[in-house]
Amino acid sequence: MGEKQPVWDLPVRLVHWLLAALIAFSWWSVHHHHTDWHIWSGCAILTLLIFRLLWGFVGSSTARFSSFVRGPRAIAGYWRGQWVGIGHNPLGAFSVLALLGALAVQVGLGLISEDEDGIYLGPLARLVSSDTSDKARDIHATWFYAILALIGLHLLAIIYYRLRGKKLALPMITGRAELPPDTQPMRPGKWWVALICLAVGIGITRWIIAGAPLF
Amino acid sequence: MRLRFVAASCACVSLAACGGWKSGQANSAQGNISQDSRPPATGRASAVTNGAATNGMAATNAMMMLAVPLPKNQALRVMHVRHEGMETIGKNNKALTREVTGGSPDLGVVRASAAQIASLARQASGWFPAGTGPNVGNTGAKPDIWRNPQDFSAKLHNFQLAAQAFNAAAASGDTNAIKAKFADLGSACKACHDKYRSEMHH
Repeated sequence: MGEKQPVWDLPVRLVHWLLAALIAFSWWSVHHHHTDWHIWSGCAILTLLIFRLLWGFVGSSTARFSSFVRGPRAIAGYWRGQWVGIGHNPLGAFSVLALLGALAVQVGLGLISEDEDGIYLGPLARLVSSDTSDKARDIHATWFYAILALIGLHLLAIIYYRLRGKKLALPMITGRAELPPDTQPMRPGKWWVALICLAVGIGITRWIIAGAPLF
Repeated sequence: MRLRFVAASCACVSLAACGGWKSGQANSAQGNISQDSRPPATGRASAVTNGAATNGMAATNAMMMLAVPLPKNQALRVMHVRHEGMETIGKNNKALTREVTGGSPDLGVVRASAAQIASLARQASGWFPAGTGPNVGNTGAKPDIWRNPQDFSAKLHNFQLAAQAFNAAAASGDTNAIKAKFADLGSACKACHDKYRSEMHH
């Protein structure tokens, strides 16, 4: 123990807190008659999701899916207290995938939705019928509760770990934590690789905003 | 790593923010709300005798609202007609958004929907008599409608004017006018719904 070591790189932390802020903003804006802001917020979330997906393959060691998405044996081992490492533990990995997946579904539904007055169209609503857009909006509204449930579980887990003496929130802000002995520290990613991932995320989002031409 | 990433990210995001998605009516949704500052509709009651159709609508809106509350069975009937009417306006507007904000609008679809909305807009003068609020039956109409009859009548009148103007533009076939008047129509819907419709209207 002793000195704090890097655990989460800046892109991972930025994505985490921006997602938290944008989810809150999306909820607020759609309930305060700012449907246009709501759509922009969803597009920003889409960019973050694409970025995070790519960064999960080429980013820092703790950002990579290959480093934390593990099989049932690893999860059982974690349950028995046999896991040593940094980053997402084998059980927490499920939470990460569930949250990112639920958000992806939500963004997908939003893209093809239209508002109930037919004033606003999601960027891809033209690819489906008006009836489908209306159904998508209804599911979009209901699916938010699934996201809320996952966020609730996420927060409960953080409280549970805190009660057992492990602080999870602070490292997600500072990026640093005290590591158990004999663990490999985080291997950082390259800033220009992060930039390429972001550029791809923005590019794909803008293509979708344009109505996904060529489709 | 950090500073460079932050600086470059900011540059990227600012690039991402230029231009982008458009949704016909949505872009001008705020521009027209200022029209609500027109004189209250009740002030024009004398215009009814002049036979001016739109002023007549405004006067009717206000008179309907200030009347003695309807008995419950009649009120529920009005609320049903109102709900169906709003639903039909919405369906037409959805069809229109796909036509008007797309590449080349199908004039047949645009004209049919514009005419139907204009017709229902005229009928809407009779949709909000006193006694048809949420204390009577299931509705998204907020009690504020009957607390601010002048403002509500003005907004309803604004919608009726917008529906007529859009119908005229559709009849003319001028694509630019159709787009402009359709945006105005969306703003008129939104101005009233934002203030006087609750989320309990399904």
